[in-house]
Amino acid sequence: MEVCGEAAGRYPSNYNAWSHRIWVLQHLAKLDVKILLDELSSTKHWASMHVSDHSGFHYRQFLLKSLTSQTVKDSSVLEQNPLRSEPALLLPQDEAAAASTEEPRINIPHLLEEEVEFTTDLIDSYPGHETLWCHRRHVFYLQHHLSGSFPHSVTQLSTADSPVGTSSDLHHIPTGPRTAQAMEVDGLSDSSKQGYSQETKRLKRTPAPDSVGLEMEHRFIDQVLSTCRNVEQARFANAYRKWLGTLSQ
Amino acid sequence: MKLFSLSVLYKGDPKAVLLSAAYDVSSFSFFQRTSVQEFMTFTSQLIVERSAKGNRASVKEQEYLCHVYVRNDSLAGVVIADSEYPSRVAFTLLEKVLDDFSKQVDRIDWPVGSPATIHYTALDGYLSTYQNPREADPMSKVQAELDETKIILHNTMESLLERGEKIDDLVSKSEVLGIHSKAFYKTARKQNSCCAVM
Repeated sequence: MEVCGEAAGRYPSNYNAWSHRIWVLQHLAKLDVKILLDELSSTKHWASMHVSDHSGFHYRQFLLKSLTSQTVKDSSVLEQNPLRSEPALLLPQDEAAAASTEEPRINIPHLLEEEVEFTTDLIDSYPGHETLWCHRRHVFYLQHHLSGSFPHSVTQLSTADSPVGTSSDLHHIPTGPRTAQAMEVDGLSDSSKQGYSQETKRLKRTPAPDSVGLEMEHRFIDQVLSTCRNVEQARFANAYRKWLGTLSQ
Repeated sequence: MKLFSLSVLYKGDPKAVLLSAAYDVSSFSFFQRTSVQEFMTFTSQLIVERSAKGNRASVKEQEYLCHVYVRNDSLAGVVIADSEYPSRVAFTLLEKVLDDFSKQVDRIDWPVGSPATIHYTALDGYLSTYQNPREADPMSKVQAELDETKIILHNTMESLLERGEKIDDLVSKSEVLGIHSKAFYKTARKQNSCCAVM
């Protein structure tokens, strides 16, 4: 892990280093929940100091996705219900009422909410970094995906509406299909381990994403547009608004 | 996001005089560090010489951004950062440093000073503190006093030069670059490889 951190520090957007880190988590740590949580908190500062490092943020997306799918897997009771309304997810660690597993209960909605705040803070502090806006899309998607809000469509996460090659943040992304799946080769390739794609099929689907969540995002976009003086920032904010619009289609 | 150097200079006529500087070359490999430092000094001086009084500018060179502020009284500051570092904070830093410097060092010492003769030790501290922009300047995202449209943006070092001038010539004539650095520069240019600093 130290090697990965060292390599990541030396070369910007080091896909290899971060992929290797994911591999270590999958094969050596077996995606242990405690370790995932530790990684989430220990990479937070690094990410905040490397705001155009797409691979670093992709790593956080991987961690959040893994935690989400593991929570869904462990709590088989919750399969049929939207996770938001299920209090069992919020059980404190020392009162593990559900006897199925000894693992610590994790509050996924809270984690995602924290990630949104983290992203908001960075977007406000460092205007004009596409990576941050891209990250926000992923987190928003995860939040509303939990409640079965959208049909499973990973391709919409890409920043395909920005012209290829103009953003230095994304220069390392393969020029093939510019979708989130291109970056998630390691995360999704072994779906039986992740149980991710199977879960998405089981979650209920409603036609439109949660309107409260959408409203908050639109308010955020308005606030950014009204105060920002950075041309790029305005462009990303508008692209994000357009993307949100595509979700209800 | 990273800061590599912070320098205070006096824009003399025709040359710029280095008065005080701080460097962070820890991210460079051990054997490159001296050369990198020399190149940063060379670059800072060149930028100040080619910038007019009362101006702020950002000069892009490969993955580095050099921010310069030349005051009307000819005191100038240059900070060399990476492209992630927010330029707003960089200019706040320059303003602060020059203000502090002018209070601590007599004006009379500026035109003929050098790091050896000038007593000013705060730059290392500033450089280190400002490595984390949010800790150093928490209000920077709120206070947008600086009109960003007035900052001149140069996409390469070349755009600072006069017609016919070449960086290669300036490098070989430079007094701040050691023989090793000049040789390193020549080799890198010949190989057309990405020269570490220039």
